[in-house]
Amino acid sequence: MKHLSDDELIELYYGEASGGVSAHEHACRECSARFAELQQSLDPIRSAPTARRGADYGERVWESLRPRLIPYEKKTTGWRAWGQWRIGLAALGCALLLAATFIGGRYWERMTTTTKNTVAGNTARQATQRVVVVVLADHLDRTERLLVALEHANPSDRTDNAELQSDAQQLLASNRIYRATASNAGDPLLAGTLDQMEGVLAEIANNPNLTAADLRRVRNEMNAEGILFEIRVLMARKPDQTGGTNHAKGASI
Amino acid sequence: MQETDHSVVRAVLAGDKDAYGALVRAHSTTVFRVAFRIVGNEADAEEIVQEAFLRGYQRLEAFQQRSGFGTWIYRIAVNCALNRLSQPGVEAEYRHGEENDPEQKSVQVAAQEADPERSLLSREISAAQEMAMQRLTPAEKTAFVLRHLEDRSMNEIAEVLGIAPNAAKQAVFRAVQKLRRELAPLRGNA
Repeated sequence: MKHLSDDELIELYYGEASGGVSAHEHACRECSARFAELQQSLDPIRSAPTARRGADYGERVWESLRPRLIPYEKKTTGWRAWGQWRIGLAALGCALLLAATFIGGRYWERMTTTTKNTVAGNTARQATQRVVVVVLADHLDRTERLLVALEHANPSDRTDNAELQSDAQQLLASNRIYRATASNAGDPLLAGTLDQMEGVLAEIANNPNLTAADLRRVRNEMNAEGILFEIRVLMARKPDQTGGTNHAKGASI
Repeated sequence: MQETDHSVVRAVLAGDKDAYGALVRAHSTTVFRVAFRIVGNEADAEEIVQEAFLRGYQRLEAFQQRSGFGTWIYRIAVNCALNRLSQPGVEAEYRHGEENDPEQKSVQVAAQEADPERSLLSREISAAQEMAMQRLTPAEKTAFVLRHLEDRSMNEIAEVLGIAPNAAKQAVFRAVQKLRRELAPLRGNA
């Protein structure tokens, strides 16, 4: 028979033991004797006398404590303070709303008048620009694909390299035209990116003996200059951002 | 009571220092009792009461209104008492005094009891119990007092002492084992 451990006896003493422990203690003479011994040791400590304090003890403690306490700063308490703030904020909010409504109304009126006048003139121009946007987007898209292919190309694979070179030659020709047009149209962002692209494309297209080392170098330069990222930024431009002549996809190519 | 305590706390935080007196008056006796049981000395216990209420006042803004003020100040007092026991000089001095004069503690308590019939044997037993208690580590003694004399559950002890429930349980177990060993010679006389 497995007897109760000391810890189990202590748990039993404090009424925290399971029913099984209690049953064992009743049934087992040895454990029962050990439990009685534990009670003999602990019970007298429980009944040990303690110092007591009279009813005025709290008052005495307070009297000696009071001079040592520094009052908390008085606050304009609770909802009153908050109420004052709320009224102020509400008034300010109303004033702002009125001003915004007035200005917004004036602005809206002017906008609608201007729009009516310009809509007719812009329609023809927008049709042309839509074509330009599609063409340039296609060019950027193809260039991006080429650069991604370059990033993942196996430098030792000659067939892959030849394909890259052929694509780069085609893109290089069109890129020159787009870059010159963007530059003339005064779109430095587009012109700059196309210029960087042109450098990379020229490197790939014009090297008759493209080696693995060449590919790696071009790839490193491309990564360092973040060309892919710039292309993606340009691609992310919405068509409606191309409204003016100064904008990338709105350049009259 | 708890709601009253909470409204008093709000008043104190709003600048009414004297409102704190109500909390001190209401909870001083309980705080003194636990402090005395832990440190076993009236003078120290009284200092702990002062310290606990002073700390309580200073930290009143951190008081979480979820629990009662009584529970909160009780915890502070237990920790003050534990700190007092843990100070290197205090317990050594305490034990030294105890060893030089084994009846010193029991005399103090006996005087409180005003029991002229108290026998010499009873005083010796009481003194031995006190000595056995003094041989516990501060953590063991505090955990034991909270469990044995204050009837706190293991979880409450763990919360008050800021330790895991299992650690609290082990502290109580160790204390009981030590006391059993120390008090074994007296069992025949009790």
